[in-house]
Amino acid sequence: MAAHTSRAFLSLGRINVPGLGLHKSVSRVTYSTGLSTDSSKATTGSPQKGGKKVLSKKYKREPGDPRTELMPVDQDWTAVYPVATPFIPDAIPLPVRMGCPVKGGAPPEKKGNLELIKIPNFLHLTPAAIKKHCEALKPFCTEWPSALDTDAKCDEHFPIKVETKSYVSAGPSIRNPAARIVHLSVKLSSLNLNDQARKKMLKLVGDRYCKDTDILTITADRCPLKQQNYDYAMYLLTVLYHESWKIEAWEAEKTVADMEEYSWEGSLSQENILDVLVRMKEAGEGEGEEVREQLLGRREVQEYKDSVTRLKNEGENESTMLQYKEAVKKVLKL
Amino acid sequence: MYISAPSCPSSSLPSSTHEGSTGNSTVSCCPTFSENMAAPMALRRELCSLARILSGISHLAPRALGVCSGHNKCNIIRSRLPSTSSTSFHTATVFSSITVTEEPDTLFQMVSVMVKGHDRAVLDSYEFFAKMAAQELGITINKVYEPPKDIERLTVLKSVHIFKKHRVQYEMRTHYRCFELSHMTGCTTQVYLEYIQRNLPEGVAMEVSTTAIEKVPDHILEPMWEDRPIDDKPGQ
Repeated sequence: MAAHTSRAFLSLGRINVPGLGLHKSVSRVTYSTGLSTDSSKATTGSPQKGGKKVLSKKYKREPGDPRTELMPVDQDWTAVYPVATPFIPDAIPLPVRMGCPVKGGAPPEKKGNLELIKIPNFLHLTPAAIKKHCEALKPFCTEWPSALDTDAKCDEHFPIKVETKSYVSAGPSIRNPAARIVHLSVKLSSLNLNDQARKKMLKLVGDRYCKDTDILTITADRCPLKQQNYDYAMYLLTVLYHESWKIEAWEAEKTVADMEEYSWEGSLSQENILDVLVRMKEAGEGEGEEVREQLLGRREVQEYKDSVTRLKNEGENESTMLQYKEAVKKVLKL
Repeated sequence: MYISAPSCPSSSLPSSTHEGSTGNSTVSCCPTFSENMAAPMALRRELCSLARILSGISHLAPRALGVCSGHNKCNIIRSRLPSTSSTSFHTATVFSSITVTEEPDTLFQMVSVMVKGHDRAVLDSYEFFAKMAAQELGITINKVYEPPKDIERLTVLKSVHIFKKHRVQYEMRTHYRCFELSHMTGCTTQVYLEYIQRNLPEGVAMEVSTTAIEKVPDHILEPMWEDRPIDDKPGQ
């Protein structure tokens, strides 16, 4: 009896004061039910809950069939999932199950499954959707020139290679400072350099040159922007090129110790072998320059010269030592 | 919420099969459109989310994910975004804002795309998508391979205070997938990379390494010292 009166009070309070805020009606409700007995509280539970239950039943509507029931089999899926959207179980007509299976049972179903919502889905990128997107993107693409089909042709016509990296990731900042680094590589054989210029260039660049592949690599990372680093790398290449063609006055004082390669002419080895041959009296009698020049023209001496040059330049390995041995045997007629 | 492209006279793309020349034209959009596109991404993101909340979207709205950084050559300034073009496959309108310039296109001998993520299944799906997109756009795929995963482990104390013998171990697994594409022009690279990056799933990062090839510039063809000076000339 008291419960009914309290409920009546509640409803009265709510209906009479629709315009005022809910707080006031709630406060009215609490005041009115504060007078009611404990039994009413026990039976109805919290008065506010009871009141809400009564009211919400009036406005609640039935959830209809899930959309999957109404989908035809040959529908356009690209219209259902055109963009990346989280997994909606009522919009996807697939009996997907995901999660840890119950013992002796199946993984949980898709309805109310958090695992399916958490994982990124590719429902918006079905093959049909990809084809449609690519059809729309085709007009913006250009073709690769058909004449440059091999790497060799690319190197021949376009010898300079610029390598850059860019990064995409989620985080507090979309910038990545490693994206400013630029590597510029070029084959020295494709540049217009004569012998002296090439040697000077090699001395100027030092470690940046790789002898096996004949590639000079300039890495620029001192500027904050990629474009600036690229410009700096091109500037360095230009300066190196022009400086290597320049001949300074003090370059004439180049000593044997500065030479990059061993040259046999005018070396100690040449003097020694000519002395030995003259002493052995190979050329017959007579002293002087003509004898030495005649000796130099001989085939064995030339072979000896080749073997010594090769030994000094390439280092000691099987073939060079063998060649030296053969040449020495021929020259000294052993 | 949609930035509509201004109507420009449509021009056809020239065929780019010149012998050994770099005279491929870039495809660029009208200047007003590019200026609009350079508007802050945050604004577009808000507008897009608002649109999603208010009405069920039936067209492809630009999804503002991590776009490639501004330092990258393949920036969006020149080419058109697929946002506007996608309406056309619903409404079949003529592409009216393609403009062709005479500026020579950059040539990329190799473009290497590496994606990193915590979930191998996600990378598998992404690989399928990227491969299919490349095939549809006519891009040659050199190699698709999976570098071995990295596991970063750490051991921490289980309890807030004392109990040194009881610890907890966590690990973070990073899976990789690498696509190597070869012989792409600058325009194609922009289009493909933008398409790929817009559809990058959550929690996946990407690293793009491009190798552009160029001719030897004019100022390096001949040395500038005509007289080959023997004397020292500092400051030249």
